[in-house]
Amino acid sequence: MREPPDAVSADSALLPPESDESILRRHEKWFCSMRWLAIAALAALGVIGLTAKALVAPLGFHLEPGWPFLVAGVLLVLNAAYLLMARRAERSTRHAMHDRRGLWVQIILDLAAVTVVVHYVGSVATFAPFIYLFHIVMACIFLPYAQSLVVTLAAMGMYLTSLLLEGTGVIAPGSVLDRNAIPQPVQAWHAGAVMFVSGTVWYLASRLANALRQRDKRLSAINRRLVAATEERAGHMLSTTHQLKAPFAAIHANTQLLLGGHCGPLSIEAVAVVEKIAVRCEMLSRGIKAMLQLANLRSAAQDTPSPVPLDVSAVIRACLAGLQPQAAKRGIVFEEELSPAAVKAVQDHAAMIIENVLSNAINYSRDGQRVSVSSRAKPAGGAVVVVRDSGIGIRPEILPRIFDDYFRTTEAAAHNHASTGLGLAIVRQSALAGRIGVRVESAPSLGTVVTLDFPSSPG
Amino acid sequence: MAYLLIVEDDADFASAVGTILEKQGHAISFETDCGKTIDRIHERRPDLVILDVMFPENDKAGFQAARSIRRTFGELPVILLTAVNQSFPLGFSSKDLDPTWLPAVDFVEKPVDFALLSRKVSDILAHEKGTAGSLS
Repeated sequence: MREPPDAVSADSALLPPESDESILRRHEKWFCSMRWLAIAALAALGVIGLTAKALVAPLGFHLEPGWPFLVAGVLLVLNAAYLLMARRAERSTRHAMHDRRGLWVQIILDLAAVTVVVHYVGSVATFAPFIYLFHIVMACIFLPYAQSLVVTLAAMGMYLTSLLLEGTGVIAPGSVLDRNAIPQPVQAWHAGAVMFVSGTVWYLASRLANALRQRDKRLSAINRRLVAATEERAGHMLSTTHQLKAPFAAIHANTQLLLGGHCGPLSIEAVAVVEKIAVRCEMLSRGIKAMLQLANLRSAAQDTPSPVPLDVSAVIRACLAGLQPQAAKRGIVFEEELSPAAVKAVQDHAAMIIENVLSNAINYSRDGQRVSVSSRAKPAGGAVVVVRDSGIGIRPEILPRIFDDYFRTTEAAAHNHASTGLGLAIVRQSALAGRIGVRVESAPSLGTVVTLDFPSSPG
Repeated sequence: MAYLLIVEDDADFASAVGTILEKQGHAISFETDCGKTIDRIHERRPDLVILDVMFPENDKAGFQAARSIRRTFGELPVILLTAVNQSFPLGFSSKDLDPTWLPAVDFVEKPVDFALLSRKVSDILAHEKGTAGSLS
């Protein structure tokens, strides 16, 4: 069979909203990444000052290597310290407090470093003061209105202080430009322009960011309500479906009694009727089981079983043994290529995923076809399971919907009347819980390939 | 022949289970009220208790009854015959897998496979008989 061209992954789900703390922590790490770039740029400037001073001099640049290396060195030490603190904070219970305090320490020290750079590059002779704008815009994006104003005022305060110190002769004005070639601009005019642009940028960016934040908060609130409603629905579904299971258990038990001859001999016609009842009862019981599995997986109130060490190939063998009668009825033959593959996973989840995928491969194959299943360990840990059939396949436009609850394609419904339409929804939910990758590739009339990517541990 | 007590609120289901086990040659007694389990055992001690988990008054009444049986009657074997298990843990926690916390010798899932149930009942009774024999 050629490789089916269309594929879909089971990674879309209604996820709970990300907390402010986690957003902050994620951004803190991003700030550190950006700071490595700034350190690299300063180091490059230092190298140019050290090795190519004569080359840039004709262009009007007067580059000393000392200050770029100094600022890069200080930032390097600070950045390493921030990352270390962030890692420690992740393991402690005081995340939020650390993140807030650590973030403000980083902002103030970054602004101090920028002020040093602006001073040496040229606080009045160049456009260096506009470097502050990066920090102002980032503050507008990531911090509330008032806090972004504090950052803007802090930046302008530091800039004005450096101008004051330069103006009063406490420190000598610095510039990378050849001061003989560049006329001295008026300090007050330059400072005013920087202040005006910074203030305008802060106003526009903070207004825009604030509007986006408000909308984000509204969306988060809606999402939270949606998650709560989904959980409530799952809880009701679990309870109601469970109540349905009892009468079916009684019907099933009584049909077994009749068919087993425990209530006396039955006529051939009566056996045929009771068999029909038993078959329908089994179908409904299977549907109820699937609904219970799904509701249980989605119910946040339920206790999630712990992951245990598993050999994926053993789980596959157990599932194949259970499905053998179903396959044999239709003359479907399994081709196994199973290598041991150790993972850590929730036993029930792994079994539900593999059983549903194999069951689908049987159900949507044609009579007498082959279903192949393979497992192998990944070199870096974890396992890959591939289930391949040559059955009816799935149309590409339908593929993105196959993990939806109760979704069945017209072809699937016609091919297998007994399907509940919940198998792949259970697969998706179990896979999300165990961080197991599920990829489905399919082509109509050619068949379907499902690849399960088990991590070494769900983490 | 052994004497078995079936504690199950669904009389239709209990009757079907009872019929099968009677055919196996056992004497059967039924109780639909989980709260009366201990009294019924005091009246006549069974060789095995087949116990449902979910009862109308309490979703975990069967779990509580199993613990009471262990406290009151020691090693009297209990089979939990239920739709509640680790896969469908309505009120079930991973702690319930611990035999010291939930003293049941086995779980049989509903809808019940009678062949499986009959085999488990025979195995447990044979084991109990063997243990009693070795002690005497």
